[in-house]
Amino acid sequence: MSLSDCEDLDVSKLAKNVLPPLLLLVAFLSTWESVVWLLKIPAITLPPPSRIALAAYKNADELVIATGYTALASTCGLLCSVVIGVVMAAIFSQAAIIRRSFFPYAIFLQTVPIVAVAPLLLHWFGNGFQTIVMIVIIISLFPIIVNVTYGMVSVDRQLVNLFQLNRASRWQIFFKLQLPNSVPLLISATKTSAGLAVIGAIVGEFFAGLSTPLSGLGYFIMKSLEYKIDAMMAAVIASALLGNAMFTVISFIESKILARFGQVQSNVFQ
Amino acid sequence: MYFNNTSRYLFFLATVAISMLLTSCGGRQPNDDNNENGLTKIRLQINWFPEHEHGGFYAAKAKGYFAEEGLDVEIIPGGPKVNGVQEVVSRRVDFAIANADQILLGRAQQANVVGLMSPIQDSPRCIMVHKSSGISKFEELKGITISLSGGKPFVAYLTKKGFLQDAQLVPFLGGIRRFLEEKDFAQQGYVFSEPIQATTHGSDPVALMVSDTGFNPYTGLLFTHGDTIRDNPELVEKVVRASVRGWKDFLADPSETNKVILQVNEDLDEVTLTKGVAALVPLCLPNDMPADQIGKMTIERWQQLHDQLIEIEMLEESLDVKNAFTIDFLPPATP
Repeated sequence: MSLSDCEDLDVSKLAKNVLPPLLLLVAFLSTWESVVWLLKIPAITLPPPSRIALAAYKNADELVIATGYTALASTCGLLCSVVIGVVMAAIFSQAAIIRRSFFPYAIFLQTVPIVAVAPLLLHWFGNGFQTIVMIVIIISLFPIIVNVTYGMVSVDRQLVNLFQLNRASRWQIFFKLQLPNSVPLLISATKTSAGLAVIGAIVGEFFAGLSTPLSGLGYFIMKSLEYKIDAMMAAVIASALLGNAMFTVISFIESKILARFGQVQSNVFQ
Repeated sequence: MYFNNTSRYLFFLATVAISMLLTSCGGRQPNDDNNENGLTKIRLQINWFPEHEHGGFYAAKAKGYFAEEGLDVEIIPGGPKVNGVQEVVSRRVDFAIANADQILLGRAQQANVVGLMSPIQDSPRCIMVHKSSGISKFEELKGITISLSGGKPFVAYLTKKGFLQDAQLVPFLGGIRRFLEEKDFAQQGYVFSEPIQATTHGSDPVALMVSDTGFNPYTGLLFTHGDTIRDNPELVEKVVRASVRGWKDFLADPSETNKVILQVNEDLDEVTLTKGVAALVPLCLPNDMPADQIGKMTIERWQQLHDQLIEIEMLEESLDVKNAFTIDFLPPATP
């Protein structure tokens, strides 16, 4: 059996995809652990991975609830962003003059320093879930507006002509041509926004989080920062994993939807 | 030269490992430099923006007590994100100010920090409520929003004692603006700062002292690294001696030092500072404690704090509190 035959087998495919990152992880963790041990770095400066794992285990209940809360806030905010973003893109796509008038202001969403605005939102809307979701929306909306608008206006001119020849109404052109054309871009923008949404939720919890009855990872990170750096790092890892999980879920949805649209997704990382 | 994929990968891993090793080294050795006057340069990290809480240290600098010991002390202002224990452990500063609970919790995270003197005997920590709320004791903290630093031990203690179960807790973001605006709002504070500011702004604050509930860590405590005590006890003795002199001076007559504090902290006004010092003095010298005992610490109080931290599960394992502080450097008049 030649080497190329081997590569067709699932096992070797798995090894090819899973082994390199796994090996890197093991190398990274063992270097970290031994550096901390060799240089006698105190845990308050840099806890070793073993200590972080232990802290994660000890705080498992609280971490799971906090991750769930943050997941809920970022998902709610992201869904709102998708709805608001698509509606805004639909308006933008209607005329170049609308785009030219509104787009400079849409850029505000991208450039606004969220940490500076968060206290203001807190002042207006109070502590709690609603303010956190609002911060998520602000931070995750822009990629969706830009990409979906592009998807709606970059429709093949000839197809538009064809629709018009057949006396299609403006609504028909929008729903049967522009909207479907923007779906792949909507999904890839949502992937970008998913990571941002988790960041937004955590920033939101820094400012507007509640301690009771439920609190998220941001609140957990803030309260562990000073005295339990190992637990705090466990929460940082949990937030990174949450961002990853959201990305994966959207990729899964993407593969299902794009298959329907007859498009093949490319993954450069495989 | 030919590399196959595997060796390239291993080379990459080795590069990652080496760069991690290199970046983790470094740091400043304490007091290894002298200035042009032959004074030993020392960096002292305070735990907040300069205020009366640090008065004695500013007095020791302003009145030349540090200089008389051959020291040139740079007092570095702190703030909400400055962690003195972290600064001392990473050797960016030689001495710092913290509260006793931070010392014990730092030691639980392998930080070799040791308390040297505690100018503030009774904790100034309070929950500031509006008088109009009718709340006058911890048992009555119900149906209001309280802004607190979630991870702090006093919050865990009050929670454990059941005082916070009927209140809505929100993160503490500093300042008193929201307190001034909302009647059903309470917040953490230091009795010699926030309630005085609130009164100045025409509000009606009442301070519920956390120390009345039994949680009373030494505050504004001077500490250093255990290695500094081992390697340079003379230096530690000089810093402590000058600091105690500074504190005696400040508590007896703060007027000159206050001018210095107002210079370095432009956000502080004279009225708040003057009233603040008046509220600070009884915390430094409680129960007619003689001024020559300034800075004293007892093992009983360290042990009590330790046991409370165990009780609220902030400390997971017992520590030997004898290692967390030393009174060896306090001047003889202060047993």
